[in-house]
Amino acid sequence: MQDAYITGAGRFLPGPALSNKEIEDYIGCIHGQPSAFRAATLRKNGIKSRHYAIDKNGNYLYTNALMAAEAVKAATADAKRDLASIQLLATSTTQGDLLVPGFASAVHGELGIPPLELASFQSVCASSMMAFKNAYLNIKAGENEVAAVCGSEFSSRWFRPGFYESCVSENEARKPPIDLDFLRWTLSDGAGAVIVEPKPKSRGVSLQCDWVELKSFADRFDPCMYAGTNSNSSNTGKPWSHYQTPQHAYQDGAMALRQDFELLYQMFPVWLGYYLSLMEKHQFSPGNINYFLPHYSARSLGEEMKKLMISAGAMIPEERWFNNLTTVGNTGSASIFLMLEELLRSAELKPGQTILCFVPESGRCIASFMHLTVVSQEGN
Amino acid sequence: MNGPHTASQSVMRQLIITWADFESRLLKVPIIERIMRGQLRLDDYRQILLNHRQQVIEGSRWIARAASSIDHRYAELRSTFIRHANTEHRDYQMLDENYLTVGGNKERLLNSEKNIGSEALSAWMFHQASQPNPFDLLGAMFIIEGLGQKFARTFAQKIQQQLNLSEEQVSFYLYHADHDEEHIGELEATLQSGILDDEGLAARIAKTARVTARLYLLQLEELGNY
Repeated sequence: MQDAYITGAGRFLPGPALSNKEIEDYIGCIHGQPSAFRAATLRKNGIKSRHYAIDKNGNYLYTNALMAAEAVKAATADAKRDLASIQLLATSTTQGDLLVPGFASAVHGELGIPPLELASFQSVCASSMMAFKNAYLNIKAGENEVAAVCGSEFSSRWFRPGFYESCVSENEARKPPIDLDFLRWTLSDGAGAVIVEPKPKSRGVSLQCDWVELKSFADRFDPCMYAGTNSNSSNTGKPWSHYQTPQHAYQDGAMALRQDFELLYQMFPVWLGYYLSLMEKHQFSPGNINYFLPHYSARSLGEEMKKLMISAGAMIPEERWFNNLTTVGNTGSASIFLMLEELLRSAELKPGQTILCFVPESGRCIASFMHLTVVSQEGN
Repeated sequence: MNGPHTASQSVMRQLIITWADFESRLLKVPIIERIMRGQLRLDDYRQILLNHRQQVIEGSRWIARAASSIDHRYAELRSTFIRHANTEHRDYQMLDENYLTVGGNKERLLNSEKNIGSEALSAWMFHQASQPNPFDLLGAMFIIEGLGQKFARTFAQKIQQQLNLSEEQVSFYLYHADHDEEHIGELEATLQSGILDDEGLAARIAKTARVTARLYLLQLEELGNY
């Protein structure tokens, strides 16, 4: 088996950073009425700025694939590689631009580089780790020498008023159902990418990948963040594709993106349990983790969970949490790559330091973790 | 690193891992799934109380049995177990009141018996409690008390909303939501008291938690099957 190293990272954030006050200028208001929950939701999720791939008039400035391709280009440059040297492209996203064919094909098309191996992952946030693990195993097995992994999201297109107006009445528009409204203030657009190779780059910092773990708990949870059905109850919700026409699905509210909050909170202990089982399996000590990169905020952990973690000797001190959610927004599958990119760019990483990445997915309950060690070649 | 703490942290990790699996599997038990979906009937609530009652009655009895199995070297812990049993041994009366205020039949209440899952759970508890110095039962307490601390409030509120009940009618679950947290703190202190020096106890606590969690689910899966 070969080793696997992250040798470069890149990002693409469309347009300017937008403040909380500007959100509705871009994604619009349902039935022309501003939501009464905006300020409260933003206080809760703590996001201060984000980027959108649409303009104020609702024009689409990019595609999801184009953003992903831009991030791959930036990561490739950071790794000091030619684009044409990429032998494997593993992509991740919540929703590609087209229903068919696969998203990775679209990203390859945008890159315009010679034929290569392709892997296309569609899930929610954790699709990033699925794509990464594919590349990691591929490099370890010696199948390829240069792999590009990207995560990208174009969430804002879900949030245009037209996506809701069949299921939110004019009377409700000021106070829309929370399962629909919350995500409008939470998710935004962007792309991130990393390059994975069997050797560290010849100068500067690379990240050796020690292990990547991922588990699904869909055996015990219904869909929590979902689109394509108007209910997450298996008794009532039916897939959008089972309606007579796509228009019927839209009229019945099956095309909006939703989040079931109650279910979300029930997932926290499961994620914690999985984290503890990985502590046992890999015998790592929280005190030895230098940087913890959670796609998650310390605030949403809650006091009770924190107490439990401390009693289990599992709490990574909060000053070691590194997270750029508040400035780049919640970008789903792009998020972990955007964090790694910023960490590599802004932190003074020293050889031997360790990084633990955590990507939970509320979609239908997935958790994933990745352990990295900083290596540095001379001339850093 | 400070040794005793590390040992207790390791046990806590095992217990939380078991708890997390238990709690998420709990959500898939038919009666709990229906509560979470808002599909509970009043009759279901009566059924839950009636079935739960047996375990609540037995709970303080097995803690008392465990106390009598603890020898003098652990007098402090024996006091804790006795206090714990004393605090809880009449809790079922609160449950009985809840049952009667939601239209439950008194005759039925007094003649109720354990469902087949509760039989297994109870037999297991008494068996463990009868062993010398049965400190592995701390694992069982973590699961059962944890249910009170982490789940009882949601449970009570859901039932209350769906069936349009008053707080008094779900007071048993609300009371446990308010009081079981202290017991978790006690557990942590107990784990740090030196009992983990006994080789093999840590693993036994973890296993007893796993068995108890499984049998607790069985009790809920077998609601009404006597």
